[in-house]
Amino acid sequence: MRDLSLFIACLMLLMPVPAVYADKSQPLHSVTGTPIAPDFSLQDTEGKRHALQDYRGKVVIVNFWATWCPPCRYELPSMERAYQRLKDAGVEMLAINVGEDADTIFTFTADYPVTFPLLMDRDSKVINDYPVMGLPTTYVIDNKGRLVYRAIGTREWDDAALVQKILDLKK
Amino acid sequence: MGCIKRLLPGSMFNLLTCLLLAFEALAEGAVLTGTDEEAQLPFWEWRDEVMSVRLVQRLPDQTRAFFTARGFDKSQAELIAQSCIFQTVYKNIATTSNPAVIEYDLTQWKVIYKGEARSLKIKEVWREEWEKAKVPQPAQIAFFWAILPTQQRYEPQDYNWGMTSYNLPPGAKFDLEMVWRQDGVYRTGFVRNLECAPDEEIDPKIPLS
Repeated sequence: MRDLSLFIACLMLLMPVPAVYADKSQPLHSVTGTPIAPDFSLQDTEGKRHALQDYRGKVVIVNFWATWCPPCRYELPSMERAYQRLKDAGVEMLAINVGEDADTIFTFTADYPVTFPLLMDRDSKVINDYPVMGLPTTYVIDNKGRLVYRAIGTREWDDAALVQKILDLKK
Repeated sequence: MGCIKRLLPGSMFNLLTCLLLAFEALAEGAVLTGTDEEAQLPFWEWRDEVMSVRLVQRLPDQTRAFFTARGFDKSQAELIAQSCIFQTVYKNIATTSNPAVIEYDLTQWKVIYKGEARSLKIKEVWREEWEKAKVPQPAQIAFFWAILPTQQRYEPQDYNWGMTSYNLPPGAKFDLEMVWRQDGVYRTGFVRNLECAPDEEIDPKIPLS
């Protein structure tokens, strides 16, 4: 029996912990060279126009998404929670929908209510100006207008360490 | 290992050796198969400690419905639906404490069907067809972004969902040779006996993602 216990103990020590379960971090990766973010001017779903240059001097989170994209849907609730924590610190969040119209987005927001602006890149010109290969992709722009962080795929945007990393850009 | 051997009877030592060999194989990449919980359809997943690629069958009816709803006409949606589409979830699952960078290019991947190596039908090839056919711009945009990127670079925890198309008939069986770079070093993995979804009508009462 003692041998069996030792055997099980040895086995447990030898078992690798799958990385997917071990790492709950929500990393934002640095953008090489921190290029200036391409400017844009897009209407939101309520008809208001937003130009990136209007946000100069602020930290801005720019998320590219679509209603039919499952991972985009997954992260919207945590983006809203993060926005509620970040907006009072002067951090802006702009979610740029790719290719869809206001009616489609409006219907979608019945299930995924958010309070940050949902901009419409109907002809996909803006996403093509950014180094984006797939949806969702999110960039964090610092108060000098530079692309500093990037996330491909979803993140838990209200993760404390992630929020702090964004707030640190204001220093 | 010697100390463990002294502790254990012979059969247990053999069992432990087998288990260790199995873990070594996992480190080289294991292929898991089963039913995807969300789609309720068969999946094939290649995985090691840094990368996972899950290919989930998409039924032709799902594909028809998705693209018709986004502005493709019936014949165009049919062409996509009959092209063997898999929903593909490509992840860098490395930890931030032990990071690795994954880069891939789908033009380097091979589809082995009936003994012949072919290419995946990448989004740029599809786009040429849609431009010639004058497919409406919103439909083209949805298509372009719904397909897995042809090239991508993933840092830890990065991932994409996207469709991959194999230009094979419904029900066809094939092997897939995947090529990628991990921290600059080329690697190759195989997924064998993948099966394109058969073209069957879906019970409209069953919700689909």
